[in-house]
Amino acid sequence: MFDEFYFLQQLINGLTVGSAYALIAIGYTMVYGIIGMINFAHGEIYMIGAYTSLIVITGLAALNPVWLPLVLLVALICAMIVSSSMGWAVERVAYRPVRGQHRLIPLISAIGMSIFLQNYVHLAQGSRNIGFPSLIDGGFTFGTSEGFQTTISNMQLTIFATTLVCMTLLSLFISRSKTGRACRAVSQDRKMSSLLGIDTNRIIAATFVIGAALAAVAGLLLGMYYGSIDPLFGFIAGLKAFTAAVLGGIGSIPGAMLGGLILGVAESFTAGYLSSEYKDVVSFSLLILILLFRPTGLLGKPEVEKI
Amino acid sequence: MKTSMSKLAAGAGLTAALMTAGPAAAEIRIGIAGPVTGPVAQYGDMQFSGARMAIERINANGGVMGEELVAVEQDDACDPKQAVTVANNMVNEGVRFVVGHLCSSSMQPASDIYEDEGILAVTPAATNPAITERGYELIFRTIGLDSMQGPAAADYIIDQKPDRVAVVHDKQQYGEGIASAVRDNLKDAGINVVMYEGITAGQKDFSSLVTKLKQANVDFVYYGGYHPELGLILRQADQAGLDAQFMGPEGVGNEGITNIAGEAAEGLLVTLPPSFDEQEENQALVKAFEEKGEDPSGPFVLTSYAAVEVIAEGIRQAESEDPFEVSEALRQGTFGTPIGDISFDQKGDLESFDFVVYEWHSDNSKTPVE
Repeated sequence: MFDEFYFLQQLINGLTVGSAYALIAIGYTMVYGIIGMINFAHGEIYMIGAYTSLIVITGLAALNPVWLPLVLLVALICAMIVSSSMGWAVERVAYRPVRGQHRLIPLISAIGMSIFLQNYVHLAQGSRNIGFPSLIDGGFTFGTSEGFQTTISNMQLTIFATTLVCMTLLSLFISRSKTGRACRAVSQDRKMSSLLGIDTNRIIAATFVIGAALAAVAGLLLGMYYGSIDPLFGFIAGLKAFTAAVLGGIGSIPGAMLGGLILGVAESFTAGYLSSEYKDVVSFSLLILILLFRPTGLLGKPEVEKI
Repeated sequence: MKTSMSKLAAGAGLTAALMTAGPAAAEIRIGIAGPVTGPVAQYGDMQFSGARMAIERINANGGVMGEELVAVEQDDACDPKQAVTVANNMVNEGVRFVVGHLCSSSMQPASDIYEDEGILAVTPAATNPAITERGYELIFRTIGLDSMQGPAAADYIIDQKPDRVAVVHDKQQYGEGIASAVRDNLKDAGINVVMYEGITAGQKDFSSLVTKLKQANVDFVYYGGYHPELGLILRQADQAGLDAQFMGPEGVGNEGITNIAGEAAEGLLVTLPPSFDEQEENQALVKAFEEKGEDPSGPFVLTSYAAVEVIAEGIRQAESEDPFEVSEALRQGTFGTPIGDISFDQKGDLESFDFVVYEWHSDNSKTPVE
């Protein structure tokens, strides 16, 4: 009864969602890598990215635009700008003032930030589900068995391609640029790098901003892919992405990518071969198992305890 | 001390006099209990306008056994705690017949008080089956039950004779209840149900589910739940090229589904209570509402109207204002109301309440399916 085309289709479904999880997971893992803390407001930043892009797309649609990629690009840029400023503001308001304190304090202020942002969007945009226009239609069919066809939609291809581009740019940025080098230095030893003349405040703010920008990309992509958004959808996605980051090894950027993909595929196969009811059971069991047998995650380095 | 005692005694005497004076003035007090404030107040408006209209028209026709009906209105805000207070107020006001409450969660605790205090209550809107499952004598309803909707949908599906059916639900009381009723009815009728699966409410990615439906080669999908999830399933199924007929209960039949699914909502089947205000025989009544500047099209306007009529007719047939005798009369008779000729079973539920299958369109309109 094994149908390789069905398997392939579920794999594609899983990789699609998984690569978006990876984009969000980057934000968790980078912030953890540098200040050793979990940014609990990150899921909300992603949600705000999705809302911003929807608002921009609706606004531009009213102007009767000519070229779709341009609309998407403008929406993406606006979402990245708004989310990045949110990310920066979260760091400024909820983290920096309490940075020297006991490590539970920033954790709690981040949770407060998350509740605030969620309710703010509730008030400003209403609590209903809002439909997201499907702008990218069509797809390719490759491979047909009796009664079943494997298709990959253009939307899924867009998600793969965008994720790939973002990840490549991020890797280049971290490994080649001056700020990237400073990021790595700060994550290794914050005090030493500040003694060597690196502006650690600026670097920490930069990691929040980069993470938020990637979350905004995921917000636009997943909003279009799923078809509707609501003020609470950042919470679940944030939880999944956090799981992905821990799975891959929190603090490690390739780990976040790997964790996202594994989680997406695991979910898809559970729903495909077992039942949709067990989707969350399996993904969080996976997290518990990893934490039990390999607490540093798949690609994480065993290191001095930070949190 | 002595004076205050005598004042008290005088006061008590006065109250007693007033209480006996009540019925002497030839009136029957009908309590109307529903939300005037709170999140579902718009449903309360429907209930109050329907019940008031019925009282007005019955009084215009000479009342009940020569007595006039008088409304006693109370606001429960659809809050179970406030509903208990309202029920106690009804007792203190000497009300013996109540139209209400609107919400199942309010009706549940209030009905305990009504049953204990000998007050007959007819709810025009509470659909939870549990309300009438406690063997109470005095609790009735002029609306269908959640559990009637599943069989209604199943009957329709059986007539269509689909080859392979999938039943999906959102694991919540309402959705799973209806979905399991549909599945059981279909299986009993020999329909091939190839899939029965739950999803998590709030979930957004249904690509795996859609792929599974595609592989199972289903031609009919029944979904038990609400519109946010079904809207996404419809849309993602449309994009994946799944060619199947979808159907859902009342909970999916609102504008939200089109908002999410867009064009994919076209052709969705929904079971809903019939639009009583569009029926031929109710047009005179509809006009009376319109003359008062009220809208009779809401789902609970005419069920509330029917609730008052049923109480009035029950009193006439029992030739008594004793709630227990009226409840006996209600269980025996058949009553002509704007929602059709209705009769009650032993539990106090309607013997039958039709749900109609509508086809939903992507401009938010609906047309009945034959």
